[in-house]
Amino acid sequence: MRLTLAVHSISQTDFGSKTQLEGTRLQIDVEELRRCILQDRRLQSVDLEIARPGESCRAGYVFDIIEPRAKEPGSGADFPGILGPVTPVGQGVTHVLRGAAVTVVDGGQPGGELGYESRRGGVSKILEMSGEAAKRSSYGDLQHLVMVPRAHPDIKRHAVLNALRVASCRAAVFLAQTALSQLPDSTLDFELKGPKSGNGNLPRVAYIGQIHGHQHGTESDEHILYGANTRGMMPTPLHPNEWMDGAVVTSYSWGARGLETYFYQNHPIIGELYRLHQSGQANFVGAIATISSDQESEMKRNSMMAAQIAKWNLAADGVVLTKYAGGAPHTDMFETARQCEALGVKTVALTSDTASDNRAESALLINTKEVNAIVSHSEGSDVRFQLPTVDRIIAGNSEVADIMSGLSELTPDALCGIANNQGASRLQPIIY
Amino acid sequence: MTTEMEKAGIPVAQVTPMTLVAETVGSNRIIRGRSIVHPLGDVDLAPEEEHELRRMLVQRALDALASEDRTTA
Amino acid sequence: MKVVHYLNQFFGGVGGEEFADTPPNFLEGPVGPGNLLNQILPEGSQIVGTIVCGDNYAVENQQDIVSFVNAKVKEARADLFVAGPCFNAGRYGMSAGAVCEAVKSESDIPVVTAMSEENPGVDVYRGEVLIVDSGSSPANMRDVLVRIANLGAKLANDETVGPPSTEGYIPQGFLRTEFVEKTAAQRLAEMLMAKLKGESFEPEIPVTTFEPIPVPLMTTEIAKAKIALVTDGGLVPRSNPDNLPRAFSRVWGAYSIDERPKLLEEDFEVAHGGYDNAHVQQDPNRLVPVDVMREMERSGAIGSLHEEFLSTTGNSNPLENSRRIGREMAQRLKEAGVDAVILTST
Repeated sequence: MRLTLAVHSISQTDFGSKTQLEGTRLQIDVEELRRCILQDRRLQSVDLEIARPGESCRAGYVFDIIEPRAKEPGSGADFPGILGPVTPVGQGVTHVLRGAAVTVVDGGQPGGELGYESRRGGVSKILEMSGEAAKRSSYGDLQHLVMVPRAHPDIKRHAVLNALRVASCRAAVFLAQTALSQLPDSTLDFELKGPKSGNGNLPRVAYIGQIHGHQHGTESDEHILYGANTRGMMPTPLHPNEWMDGAVVTSYSWGARGLETYFYQNHPIIGELYRLHQSGQANFVGAIATISSDQESEMKRNSMMAAQIAKWNLAADGVVLTKYAGGAPHTDMFETARQCEALGVKTVALTSDTASDNRAESALLINTKEVNAIVSHSEGSDVRFQLPTVDRIIAGNSEVADIMSGLSELTPDALCGIANNQGASRLQPIIY
Repeated sequence: MTTEMEKAGIPVAQVTPMTLVAETVGSNRIIRGRSIVHPLGDVDLAPEEEHELRRMLVQRALDALASEDRTTA
Repeated sequence: MKVVHYLNQFFGGVGGEEFADTPPNFLEGPVGPGNLLNQILPEGSQIVGTIVCGDNYAVENQQDIVSFVNAKVKEARADLFVAGPCFNAGRYGMSAGAVCEAVKSESDIPVVTAMSEENPGVDVYRGEVLIVDSGSSPANMRDVLVRIANLGAKLANDETVGPPSTEGYIPQGFLRTEFVEKTAAQRLAEMLMAKLKGESFEPEIPVTTFEPIPVPLMTTEIAKAKIALVTDGGLVPRSNPDNLPRAFSRVWGAYSIDERPKLLEEDFEVAHGGYDNAHVQQDPNRLVPVDVMREMERSGAIGSLHEEFLSTTGNSNPLENSRRIGREMAQRLKEAGVDAVILTST
């Protein structure tokens, strides 16, 4: 199964009379885009703005960030199960607008602490386009189309979240379709030989990634994997290409803290494992998508099954594990890793730092001596970014606008693109 | 918290859905709670059944307290 | 810099194990390895005095030795206090750590000691006191003293101390987040390949283990016992009178149950931010099972239900907080004559 990314570099984005891509200049007909988004009758309006690198601009609270991508006809559906039929993805040609992003702001959570009521949807996650925070963020040098879809007041919250998800994908495809008739600047191929083949001597490596944590609840119409809500999901083998090509999007939890669909599409760990594969150092044999349950029996069963798949179906010698946001997913990941080690599959796990007292002994919520290879991206609670006063605030509602305009300082976990649970982060806790 | 109380000599039965965390930290008497969102309850059960479940879990906790051995139940 | 040095009976030249009971003595200038340290110290700095004390005496009379050392340090108007190096000597390490901690707190001057990683003094004092890694062999003496002098000077001049691997001290266990060249994904891939090839690697968070605690036994039978309910699920009376935070709680509360047959939704709320608390909000007995405990009281299964429940928010709480809260709760429960606890965590 080969996936070819046709990469188009974007250096400039503006609103204009026509939606088109000319060289590296992306022009967007704002009314045409608006009509496209408002196909969803649950929405009564959508605010659309462009935020460019270095601009004095702050947007929040962010629901998700997606890279504009569109599949060439015949290559499968764009965001299957969300925008259209469920078809396999991860193959054919997908056009990418590199250097651009669609950022969706959640307008719907006034009230409660910090301007939001529940931990589902936009939750104190801010896109900062200027200053030190922007320099350190993976999103600071992208051209963002920032959208604030606003639902009719009588639409229930779960439907609002669904509408945000659909709008995010729609906009991403709408923008990238400008590239379908253009020659890309470069192409990247992603292809693996299946688990059965491969060079005998090379270590076989795989990725086990959590794509949701159920401890904060899951809506029945929440799209996560090929459009499914993942309730009751058991570990599912997934080709890495599918992961990168629209089969997986983030869930609504915690504003998907440290996770954005952008880094499923540009998955840092899948990227590294592909690099090992392509350079002949290892045999990348596949990936397994898991969810973290709120029931311990389910958690143990899922951990066992994921380990079994890694061992017996993928014949992996080693796996990299990541978790979703929160404490239960952390425990789940460690149990999965422990089970892998018990079967002789070596593990390396990515954790975030759970220590608020900055002591190493508090940093691991759970200690299992077999799980001895840990990389921590840290949430950087001891790092502070000074924030300038900004000229432009793009906010979901006036309460959040007030909070954001009054900010002088933030920690990395509240800023998009700095502490990232998918492996893009350059933060590391150093033990002194 | 459990281990500090145990160090002070108080027998503690810990009801938690995250038994692995409790085990690693060294708690001695651990009872598997139903779920993170309702450790001693279950919204999928009818009220009388849920009450019965709670009674059973609390009884397990009491039995664990009475026991002299490390328990995970 | 004026330096005061602490040595045990062996390094102080008094004698071996037979002299471990020697009480402390203060000598002008450097003694034993202090002579070498004196040469290594920067220009203008010198050891003005040395305290020599027997290992047994120090361990058995900690108050005394601490007072003695503090007094001498003050008299000498020392700018830096050095103890050891202790290598593997356990009693020496413990005393060195103790006097260093005391001097640091009493005189607020920089302190440095040195011992091997296995020395019991490390676990106890590393958080408070900078401990140079001396390894177990006194053959390393010169190298160890160089590092002591270097760190001592940095501390005295208020310069930033680099990471343990660079400066040669035992990690104190504090995490400082820094930006590094490589992404987490790159670090993961490297660590995985190293592990698969059997090469050595360092986990970014050390994997520590906890000491087992002996099972505390009931001193009365359950049917006669007073049982208390405790939770870290953050259940509090409406309006959260003690302001329990949603996470990282430093505080806890004791809330009256009185004669209630069960907890009612209208009287309580959940402060914990880490889980979906709708179900517990709807029926607080799902977290603090007063209803069932009352039945047990009536049927004689338990002696009595303690009249209050204790509550805090366990969400992501660092160990120090949880431990302290546990200790404080234990004290209150003991004073109230509680025989056992059922603790509910989410």
